[in-house]
Amino acid sequence: MIVAEKKPLVEIAEMVKPYKKVLNIGCGGCTSICLAGGQKEVAELTRELTREFGNRGAEIQIHELTIERQCNAGFFDILDGMVADYDALLSMACGAGVQFVADRYQSKPVFPALNTSFVGFDKDVGWFEENCRTCGDCVLGETAGICPVTRCAKSLFNGPCGGTRSDGSCEVDTDTRCAWYEIHQRLKSQNRLDLIMKVRPAREWVNQMRRSLIQEPYKDRYAK
Amino acid sequence: MSAPVDQEQIKSMLTAHRSKMKRYLSHCMHCSLCAESCFLFTKNNGDPQYMPSFKVLNSLGKLYEKDGRVDRAFLEKIKPLVWKSCALCGRCYCPVGVDVPAMIAFARGICRSQGVFPDDEQSWL
Repeated sequence: MIVAEKKPLVEIAEMVKPYKKVLNIGCGGCTSICLAGGQKEVAELTRELTREFGNRGAEIQIHELTIERQCNAGFFDILDGMVADYDALLSMACGAGVQFVADRYQSKPVFPALNTSFVGFDKDVGWFEENCRTCGDCVLGETAGICPVTRCAKSLFNGPCGGTRSDGSCEVDTDTRCAWYEIHQRLKSQNRLDLIMKVRPAREWVNQMRRSLIQEPYKDRYAK
Repeated sequence: MSAPVDQEQIKSMLTAHRSKMKRYLSHCMHCSLCAESCFLFTKNNGDPQYMPSFKVLNSLGKLYEKDGRVDRAFLEKIKPLVWKSCALCGRCYCPVGVDVPAMIAFARGICRSQGVFPDDEQSWL
């Protein structure tokens, strides 16, 4: 899932302070699950902003609403009927959600309340770890399910680099396991160690370009 | 004791979308095609409680049936149906065009308006 964290309150307040009436919109998708932009966090931020502007003596009304998904037009019905009453919108979705809202309501300034951090999984309640950098050219099948782009400090596709310490940690940070050491160990346990010798060509780094994805069964539908 | 729900607010939300939602509810022919397109229904070995039609008829359908005259216990009862039993992936197929995700999202909206939504530590799926 996409993991995000709340921006500092002062930064959010600076963005919305020129407006008299602001709608704070939560997202019931990823940012709810990572405890950054769901209904509870929306209520909390609304309270914090109201208090902040109250302390400054500024007359700004902050209202709140959480919709199920900010990256899908199917969930905007309720919001469509409300937006006209507000001077600006604050989105507690990921970057994609913020842009979706901004595209849908182009006459309204839309501000992000979160910083979109990474794609990762839950380590524990409220603790998330990055495991995918969405590079667009997945090699996990050859690396025993350990991502070298995300977990190797140098994002090497052909490793290890020679900086692996004797205890299997990384020369860049001794608290981090060397991804290629882990890959070696796991491939060995699976009798697939031949894969470690494979030389992988330079990547295209397609994540440097803006991407969209149409799943195979839907390609005919959207063919130009 | 938990706070009472605002029945007037629920009623007004139901009224605002009555035409569309009642049409969807009445058009369901119980053909079960939506069930076959639901990955949670498949994953749960065909448990009828995961049928998209079951989820909407027993959440939003009941809300309309009771015309919003429900208590917090009722909203807590439908909470697992509209959250835990549905990922809102939008893949449920209906041959007559019933928009199941819109109905689930609406039912969630009504629950949210009364402060009923998954706790931090509850599993979402």
